[in-house]
Amino acid sequence: MMAVTGCVVVGKTNVGKTLFALRFAAMLGRRDVALTFRPSNGADVRRSLPIEVGVSTLTGDEPHLTRCVQSLELTLPKGKGKRTFALMDTCGLVEGIHPEADVRRAMAQTLAAVRDADVVLHMVDASQTSNASVGSCLGPVDAQVAQFAGMRSGYALLANKMDLPGAAEGLRRLRSELTGYTIFGISALKGQGLKEVKQFVWKHL
Amino acid sequence: MKTSMRGPMSDEQILELLTEGRITAVQAFAMFGQGDRDTQPGRRQGSAAGVNGDQNELAAALKELDELIGLADIKGLIKEIRAFVQIQRLRQEMGLATQATVMHAVFSGNPGTGKTTVARILGRVYAALGVLPKGHMVEVERADLVGEYIGHTANKTREQIKKAMGGVLFVDEAYSLARGGEKDFGKEAVDTLVKAMEDHKDEFVLVLAGYRDEMESFLQMNPGLRSRFPLHLEFSDYTESELLSIAEQMFVKRQYELTARARIKLAYLIEKERREAPYTFGNARTVRNLVEKSVRRQALRLVEQDRPSRDDLMSIRSEDIIGG
Repeated sequence: MMAVTGCVVVGKTNVGKTLFALRFAAMLGRRDVALTFRPSNGADVRRSLPIEVGVSTLTGDEPHLTRCVQSLELTLPKGKGKRTFALMDTCGLVEGIHPEADVRRAMAQTLAAVRDADVVLHMVDASQTSNASVGSCLGPVDAQVAQFAGMRSGYALLANKMDLPGAAEGLRRLRSELTGYTIFGISALKGQGLKEVKQFVWKHL
Repeated sequence: MKTSMRGPMSDEQILELLTEGRITAVQAFAMFGQGDRDTQPGRRQGSAAGVNGDQNELAAALKELDELIGLADIKGLIKEIRAFVQIQRLRQEMGLATQATVMHAVFSGNPGTGKTTVARILGRVYAALGVLPKGHMVEVERADLVGEYIGHTANKTREQIKKAMGGVLFVDEAYSLARGGEKDFGKEAVDTLVKAMEDHKDEFVLVLAGYRDEMESFLQMNPGLRSRFPLHLEFSDYTESELLSIAEQMFVKRQYELTARARIKLAYLIEKERREAPYTFGNARTVRNLVEKSVRRQALRLVEQDRPSRDDLMSIRSEDIIGG
């Protein structure tokens, strides 16, 4: 049976959740990832593929390439043994009501995954936060996620795309507005900052 | 399906509304929190993980506690604390009255009776239970807290408290803060500690440790102090057979073996040290010194030998064991 609890990556569309999940798996020494797709209308589909193939097929610039919860089974050393956990990559959340039923269903899955997870990695695009409206650098979707999941100890905000211009300023703004939250600046593309995230996940599983 | 959006809904109903395109993800998240949490299976699952905290770490810490020789009362008490914390958490979820779970403690006992070791394990247990964020231990004594001039002490003490935030501040020989009477800066250190206990109630655990009689008079001299420490743990001296077991455990950990004669000599020496110097006897600390000394003596004996075997390298013989 697939573990329902674990570590979930959540955020708006195109913030880099899938790329992060794959790079994170690669950092833990995986060359291939066993992905379990959980289509909302049927049984789990399990496929094993090399990470680079995953990167080229599962990630990209169009929104909603991730259409269901994609779960990666990973292991971390813990104590003297190993701890296997599910890293769940989720469908991006959008404001308003999405016209496609599949996407809406996938978002419902995302919410259920966030509700049940031990660790919530909430990803935002750091390069986009600084030009958000005055007041809050998190939009309504992210603000709601932070409010919903932010109270648990296993919640961290991942400011992704630190390789892009404006991201440093965005991270600074996040840090100053969201005091008390665990915030990591990372670049899933360049593989930066993943070690700190690993430490965090390790501590909270 | 027509569902009222006003009354509390189950998570499943909320997710259905989201799937049907009747509410947005933001609205769904907001509604998640409103229903009766305890009737929702997902919630319960999530919170159960919270109640149990980090099971692996907890098991590791309790195992380490169990491996300590003797200390039966203390082990029992720490297990009580663990159960208490978990039940308080469950009560809180059910909306019942709860008590504070971070517990400052007074550890009294002679040197080498396991106070530091137990405090360190206690920190780990608290961290694994999710009561303390870090559970590390900062070990200090009078000199780390008390300054030389007015105003210096409070800063020094606060500095140590800051280091211990999220973990355990272990003040060894705490009674020495009371020496020197009213004008001594030790009093200022005590006041600063007490203030921090109030200001940062659930953020760190203060453990005051020292000889039993001295701690007793220290607590008497500072009225109000005793009541701030819900836990009083008394560490009694180890029996001789416990001390011998401790020594054997230390040898095993270092991958040495005692010959039968060496064991007899060690038992005799432990008894002799205690008999001859009852007031300065350091319990497990004295035993550790004996163990370390014999490891060095064995090395000295073997270094003269041509190609000692693996058995030679492992065995501690009676001539290796000498008293202080």
